[in-house]
Amino acid sequence: MSTTTTIPKKLPGMDLKKIGKDLYEVFIGPQHPGSGHMRIIIRVDGDVIVEADPDLGYVHRTMEKLAEGREFIKIVPLMERMAILDACNITLPYVEAVEKLMDIEPPPRAKYLRVLLCEINRVASHLYGMGIFGVFLGHSTMYMWPFGDREVFVELAEKLTGARLTHTYAIPGGVRRDLPQGFKEDAEKAVRYMFKRLEEYRKIFLDNPVIQKRLIDVGIISKNLAAKLGIVGPNVRASGIKYDVRIIEPYEAYDELDFEVPVYEEGDAFARAWIRIIEIQQSLNIIRQVLEKMPEGDPMHEKFWAKAPPLYKKVFQETKRVKLIPLFANLKVPAGRAFARAEAGRGEVVYMVESQNAMKPYRVRVVSPSFRNAIVFKYIVPGHRIADLPAIYGSIDYFPPEADR
Amino acid sequence: MPGKVVEKQTPKPRFINAITGNLGAILVGLKYFANPNRFTLKYPYEYIELRNTYRGFIVLDMKKCIGCMSCARICPASAMKMVKVTVQEGKKPKPYPVINYNRCIFCGMCVDVCPTEALAHLPVHDVVYLSMDEMDLDLERFQQKVESPSVKEGVPVKYVFDPEKGLVKVPASEGGES
Amino acid sequence: MTDWIRLLIDIIFWPPLFQLVIAPGLVAALLVVIFIIWFERKTAARVQMRIGPYHISPRLGGFLQLFADLTRYAFQEIIIPTAVDKPIFIGAPLTALVLSLLPVVSMPYTSTPYYYPLPMDYSLLLTVALSTISPIFIVAAGWASNNKFAVIGSLRESFVITAYELLIVITALSGGVAALSYNLVDIVNAQTPFYKWMIFTNPIAALTMFAAILMATSGFPFEIPEAENEIVAGAFTEYSGLMYGINMGSAYIKRFVYSLLFTLVFLGGWLPYKPGIHLIDGYIIPLVVVLVKATIVMAIISFLRAVYGRFRIDQALDGAWRIFIPLALIGFGLALLEAYMGVYA
Repeated sequence: MSTTTTIPKKLPGMDLKKIGKDLYEVFIGPQHPGSGHMRIIIRVDGDVIVEADPDLGYVHRTMEKLAEGREFIKIVPLMERMAILDACNITLPYVEAVEKLMDIEPPPRAKYLRVLLCEINRVASHLYGMGIFGVFLGHSTMYMWPFGDREVFVELAEKLTGARLTHTYAIPGGVRRDLPQGFKEDAEKAVRYMFKRLEEYRKIFLDNPVIQKRLIDVGIISKNLAAKLGIVGPNVRASGIKYDVRIIEPYEAYDELDFEVPVYEEGDAFARAWIRIIEIQQSLNIIRQVLEKMPEGDPMHEKFWAKAPPLYKKVFQETKRVKLIPLFANLKVPAGRAFARAEAGRGEVVYMVESQNAMKPYRVRVVSPSFRNAIVFKYIVPGHRIADLPAIYGSIDYFPPEADR
Repeated sequence: MPGKVVEKQTPKPRFINAITGNLGAILVGLKYFANPNRFTLKYPYEYIELRNTYRGFIVLDMKKCIGCMSCARICPASAMKMVKVTVQEGKKPKPYPVINYNRCIFCGMCVDVCPTEALAHLPVHDVVYLSMDEMDLDLERFQQKVESPSVKEGVPVKYVFDPEKGLVKVPASEGGES
Repeated sequence: MTDWIRLLIDIIFWPPLFQLVIAPGLVAALLVVIFIIWFERKTAARVQMRIGPYHISPRLGGFLQLFADLTRYAFQEIIIPTAVDKPIFIGAPLTALVLSLLPVVSMPYTSTPYYYPLPMDYSLLLTVALSTISPIFIVAAGWASNNKFAVIGSLRESFVITAYELLIVITALSGGVAALSYNLVDIVNAQTPFYKWMIFTNPIAALTMFAAILMATSGFPFEIPEAENEIVAGAFTEYSGLMYGINMGSAYIKRFVYSLLFTLVFLGGWLPYKPGIHLIDGYIIPLVVVLVKATIVMAIISFLRAVYGRFRIDQALDGAWRIFIPLALIGFGLALLEAYMGVYA
């Protein structure tokens, strides 16, 4: 029994690396005010970054593995934890995939309700991203304003679903609540307020010469690079690639709605800031349209709703709450493999669900947008100054819990 | 009528923006300095009177419960458990749910799945427990309606939507239906 | 008995001592700085949909929060890392604090010669010279910290120093050139009536000096050496407790001193008040007028925090060398023109 401890030659992620003589290695994160739950190891020559190494995984929660041990319906609240401020968007493809396996299609009203919450979430998610972006540039007002205005949409979502963040709204077969009383009027008020505020965001942030200096021509992702790295969401659209799942493969009610998807050619941080503002505007338009075009009907598939006892109908009439039949607890999904995708706030989220005719899935595979965007740091950060790192980080709107799953 | 792609360009900064941009930013700042728009909740002096549809703490109505175990089965966080209790002498013990708030994620599925509406949400989201053991409720405490600690001293308020100020904080009595 | 009181008053109000220790020196500077920090937090909160400091004294708008913070800084453990260069690590912030306060003694706050702490003939030059000493100790503090972020922060500080010092020297001297004197008393007295304040006759130099003050004291949009999201706390990353408070305090005191200089040169100092010859009307009242004006200048600087983000270091230097130095020279030229035309003669 020897007392000497043997030091492993290489601890994962901690291996020493020789760097150049004039280089300086700085660890941005994971406890740095300018990083999220991640670390970017940068090597600087003077003030210029020559190498950047994103180090992910600090909030990895093995969601895919956990999903294998849970019943189908229980995976919805689990997957929500990836991006709680984008909860409906991030779980919608999972629900769609399960619906594909079960060969059911939600009723039209449920589709519209899902789109409604998705767009409310997208506004909230973009506002969150703008807030983080603002504080990374030292613009504290742009930090507080979007976070304050996000409260309006969180409140709207609470009114619709009963929860501020983790809504667990879309479930296989439909949604869990119908529109409450007076929702349309309140949503209209919120939308009008937000349009007014976006104008002020432009004045204090995007038209601000200091911010323009910081963002224009910083962190340019060229069209080629964006395509090569396979990044998604507003980031890829800011680089001039016309890629939005809502258009390429319209899901839910998106093929019946009239909206624009902005595409910018520049690919710099400024374009990525602008695209979020325009997307918020478009989302507000969609919210208006959805509330106008919303068809009548049940918010739950008849397979689960027709057999419901009278009490369920009565509760629905009174509180707009869709009660679940006990079958949901052990939903048996036919064997097969289904694939679904959706455009979440930060980009395309993809689910692959494989079932073996059991109550639990055999495999749930998630590819989340931030995971696909994270690689960008390695390619676009070198060549910029240290001060540009937060600007690029903020403009990518990278969200570690979503990437690490 | 699906959505369409619209190609756009970021506005190019002109020299004039050095003046108008600075002025615009400062004017917007001054506007809010003169007339701030804030809806901060001064918790715990004020508390939000939540809507009836809010997914808050859960309470059990034992008379309605039929012991079907659906709630425990659907709970995604395994917060709900069934305990067997002899209600009447001489009868077989019957299962009733109890909840562990250490685990509960307030998804509200148990309430929605209950076939007899024995479970219900309370419009309360803030309850103080002194220890983690205390958060594991037994059957008796699961039937009590918990109360927010701010009810005793705080003023109930409500938020109503407003097209000019986003949200406006009003006393709960004036809030009307929202 | 009354002799004793007279003597005591004479000692307390002996200008060199009074100005360094009481007003506008240490005590008044501390009060102004505390007020300004409170104002800064409240202003930012008003603009940003928040309330700001509140809970600790709701009736005073949370003003006592700053004293609570001060107490916390005073009693917090001061951690001195083993890897630092101890004498410099401890000595540099203290030296910087004292030196940043020193220029208040070389400035006049009244036109009554009895209350000058020093002969005022070259006071403008002396003030500018004294105000340029302290930054070197902030660079030293960052270097002694032996921390990557601190080194980057102090490097940025040293870059910024080279950019703004020239600006402050040129713009401050343009005031002296216009008034044909390096005597701050003459410069102030020349600015009668109201429309002859140099901010109106030479707005270019005033604007440039204002920008230089922002740069010198890490005000937005030039809050570069302490950019939190980039380099944690810049040169002060390793400091804690009272030492960190001193570092922050000396930055604000520097801002206060520059605001005083700005007030004297561009905002007409104690004008429109005409100092008398007694203690109250000849010394205290003009001093208060100057302090109020300087506080307003600081309040404007604080407000900018709510509007701007921060520049990148190279953009700030670029702006300083390519835009503001030509502007300062134009301002200087304007001052020469005014001197030639005898505006202040």
